[in-house]
Amino acid sequence: MKRRTEKLMSILMISAITVSMMAGCGSSTSGTTASSSDSAASTAGASETAASTDSASAAASTDTADADSTPRNETLYFAGQQWGTVNDYNPMSANSNNAMVINQTDYARVLVYETLYMFNPLDGSMKGLLATGDPEWNADKTEMTVKLNPDAKWSDGTQVTADDVKYTFDSHVKYQSSTGTDYSNYIDSVEAKDATTVVFKAKLDDKGKAVNPLKVSDYLPKVYVMQKAYLQTVEKRNNNDADKIKQDPMKDLVASGPYKPYVDNDQKIVLQRDDNYWGQASSMWGKLPVPKYIAHVIYKDNAAGQVALQQGEVDVCQEFLTDVQDMWEKDNLPISTWLDDAPYGLCTLMPTAFFNTKKAGLDNVTVRKAIAMAVDYDQIIASAMSGQSPTFDKYPRSIMGPLDSEQALVDQSALKDLQWKSGDVEGAKKLLDDAGIKDTDGDGIREIDGKNLSYKAECPNGWSDWNAALEIVAAAGKNIGIDITTYFPEASTYYDDMTTGNFDICMWSSPGASVSNPWSRAMFFLSSKYADLKVNWSGNFGGYKNADAEKLLEAIPNETDQAKLKEDYTDLSKILLTDVPCFALMYRPGEFYTVNESVWTNYPQSDDGRNIPPMDCTDGYGIAALYDLQLVNQ
Amino acid sequence: MKNTIKQVFHSGKFLVGFIIFFIIFLTCIFYPLIVRTDPLAMVGNGNFFAPGTYISQEEAATEEPYSLNVDASSAKLQAALSVDDLSAMQQWLIKYGGVKESDIDVTDAQKMAELWQAHYDSTVAQPGLIAAKKKYYVRLDKKITAALKDSGVIIADKDADTGALTESKTIKETDFINTGDISNKRTFILGTDNFGRDVLTELISATVSSLKIGFIAGLIATAIGLFLGLLAGYLGGFPDNLIMFITNLFTVIPSFVILILISYSVGNSARGIMMVALIIGLTSWPWTTRSVRSQVISLRNRDHVNLSKLSGHSMMRIIFTDILPYIASYVVMAMILQISSGILSEAQLSMIGLGPATTKTATLGLMMNWAMQYSAHLNGSWWAYFPVVIMIALISFSLNLMNTGLDQVFNPQLRD
Repeated sequence: MKRRTEKLMSILMISAITVSMMAGCGSSTSGTTASSSDSAASTAGASETAASTDSASAAASTDTADADSTPRNETLYFAGQQWGTVNDYNPMSANSNNAMVINQTDYARVLVYETLYMFNPLDGSMKGLLATGDPEWNADKTEMTVKLNPDAKWSDGTQVTADDVKYTFDSHVKYQSSTGTDYSNYIDSVEAKDATTVVFKAKLDDKGKAVNPLKVSDYLPKVYVMQKAYLQTVEKRNNNDADKIKQDPMKDLVASGPYKPYVDNDQKIVLQRDDNYWGQASSMWGKLPVPKYIAHVIYKDNAAGQVALQQGEVDVCQEFLTDVQDMWEKDNLPISTWLDDAPYGLCTLMPTAFFNTKKAGLDNVTVRKAIAMAVDYDQIIASAMSGQSPTFDKYPRSIMGPLDSEQALVDQSALKDLQWKSGDVEGAKKLLDDAGIKDTDGDGIREIDGKNLSYKAECPNGWSDWNAALEIVAAAGKNIGIDITTYFPEASTYYDDMTTGNFDICMWSSPGASVSNPWSRAMFFLSSKYADLKVNWSGNFGGYKNADAEKLLEAIPNETDQAKLKEDYTDLSKILLTDVPCFALMYRPGEFYTVNESVWTNYPQSDDGRNIPPMDCTDGYGIAALYDLQLVNQ
Repeated sequence: MKNTIKQVFHSGKFLVGFIIFFIIFLTCIFYPLIVRTDPLAMVGNGNFFAPGTYISQEEAATEEPYSLNVDASSAKLQAALSVDDLSAMQQWLIKYGGVKESDIDVTDAQKMAELWQAHYDSTVAQPGLIAAKKKYYVRLDKKITAALKDSGVIIADKDADTGALTESKTIKETDFINTGDISNKRTFILGTDNFGRDVLTELISATVSSLKIGFIAGLIATAIGLFLGLLAGYLGGFPDNLIMFITNLFTVIPSFVILILISYSVGNSARGIMMVALIIGLTSWPWTTRSVRSQVISLRNRDHVNLSKLSGHSMMRIIFTDILPYIASYVVMAMILQISSGILSEAQLSMIGLGPATTKTATLGLMMNWAMQYSAHLNGSWWAYFPVVIMIALISFSLNLMNTGLDQVFNPQLRD
């Protein structure tokens, strides 16, 4: 009897579990497909409590889905940019997470706010956006004049004027936004000569020369122009309180870009096209961007975004995808990247490992060089980066990224003797042995002054390609008798460690292609200026100092002779390869760019001759792609 | 004792569990003796190489060939062109190649290929064709050209000084080699993982570490649980209250949360196998304590215990001779469960990146963690995670089966 009831109970249990699982699956999909939610709710009726909460949430999500949903063939879907509910639309904010709207980098995201110029990393050129024509320097390079496009209008219909540009800069400086604190070192003031003429006055050193004309030009494609009248409204409602202004969500923003905020919640962020966008003028694009909506569903993780891309729910994906070529070679999906073969993307960045030169052992050039030599870069590129990086055989290490325009600025033949080959364990061992750094106590780890060489290599948790790269660095350490353990804390902890020099080996990405590169990348690798900063976000995190390098770094911004520049950059590269304060682990695309052509087509491709960079159709001159998109079924 | 063991092995469930476990155990001992490569060596230069035997291409090209009378070119075509490829070719030819549908026979790969070569041009305007598809046709064209080539592959030597190429060998399409002749090869029965490591070798090594962690954690947890349980159950009164208070505290807080917190605070560098085992052991004893205590309470008022007390035996002696033997079978069963849960805990910890270091040891959880980080489950690289899942399942299944078998033998209520 007892047995029988047990069996009966187990059958009941199993069926109950099955039903609740089915109900669970049903309601989880109901967020995306509203039609299935009803049936899911009725199945869930089996278990009372679960059903009531489920149907409630399902009903709620159905409502929002109806109100917010945009037609698929008018919406361009993104993945890999926005990872949480949007907190603000404020370009002065220090902690904005709004990746789709605010991204003031070398190639700024110009969907909502616009910059004066758009940068194109393919040829290193700047194209006017709010500005027209090229920026012009005066003879002694102290003032730069920018002409605004007279057609440029704000979303409220008023003209974009030189006053707006001035007021934007002044606000950044006045309220000490990160942009303001950075650029006020190089730009003395921005003046409005007339309604459409802006003059950038460079900060001058004691010899009357611009401190750094490169940083002045750098401002143009990077910093959004905001409307003076709107900024004044924001100032007024926050009583001119700097902190409050920087935290203002600015949901009622006035901007000049082709899109405006439409919906943002914990599920997604959607931007809607502004059909009165000034760029329809023949002086700019001459038309509107094709997709009426730009949407980014907030995915839980990379894997969720990848699944959505494979299913055609995402059009443009900015995610690192393992074995991305399998999607078209094996699965025959209508998915492609910038290049059909490895490295698949446009690599501009150099994720770099920094040694803390203040730590015992790592202050020794031999130890640093030995570690850098023993690392198996080919393995990092093939496995950690899944082949999405050119090798160091193709573009040997230097200050320069793997772009031909940059490689032209360095004399690789002069650096040949300083290069090391990938995974040169024997060479590294010999180097250490010759320097007398040996394992004397037989524990397999070498010592200096009786102290084991034992280090932590750290980068943020969950950055899988970086995590894997550091594991390969740790394996290299094991091979040459230096104990390296990996340490992957949460990102915020990591940032604290990195910016305050509280690490042994850390990893960060160099600046990519931009107006001020390769100079700012050289600064990132070598500048002694960053060495003593209390909180250092800029580069040279390991506190390396070299007076020769500093002299070269100071001279370059004012240097115009290409031959001299090449010589200087070659010298800097020599210092980098001799002293090894840091070493690049791989090249990496500035932005990952994988597109699915299920709905939209005519995305930029490397061989289409349009010179539009693969900047996810949103950034810098990459936004030109939005004007050329076509629907597949049309 | 002999009789008990005999009885235990008569239990079918125990026997099955024991055999599975024993096989895993033997594999763990003997596999490393046969395959002596470092389980953590990164052999494959790339992510997730599929299972199979990899032979040296260079050696294969230089090996003396055998001539086989096989129509290789049509076989190559058949292998190169799938049905989907053929219908895609048909579509292109009709739409952009100006070929009439009636002239195309999709079933004849040879004719299709010839037609394709006559009409395909990648530079022709292909309105309405998406870029991914255009690229697909370019790849298809390359594949067909390679398959139709009848001149063979020429191998040439490069002159070191002039860089001039001189032909040294031609590989014809009728040339075959015996794979047995190739000495330079490597077999990955379960492919490679995201770092290019041999999954099978890694899996065995990981199982060894997992078993070690499980045993140590199980021993520690059982030892602590047994000690506290005996003490609390036998002494009663204030010691009992105190021990139960602590035990209840640990029971209320989910042990996995404590596990995470301790592992996190210990830091990466200190987390070796021993440390992880210790942490798991130290957090999973409470339920053993509780159940041992209740068993002891039911035992302590039995006649033989009272007799021992009257005889003036010491507490230790009573516990070891009059109480422990009665609960020994139960303790063994509890330990088996502790081992099993220890292995699972390790896997869980490593999955969230709080296990031992990747470069120092292989563990089952770490293998799962990296397979997931490199989305093996999305890319169809089943060999990187499925064997691991199976292994974890087999170990805990066999241990639990042994436990149920023992239970049936020792628990009179469950006896048939």
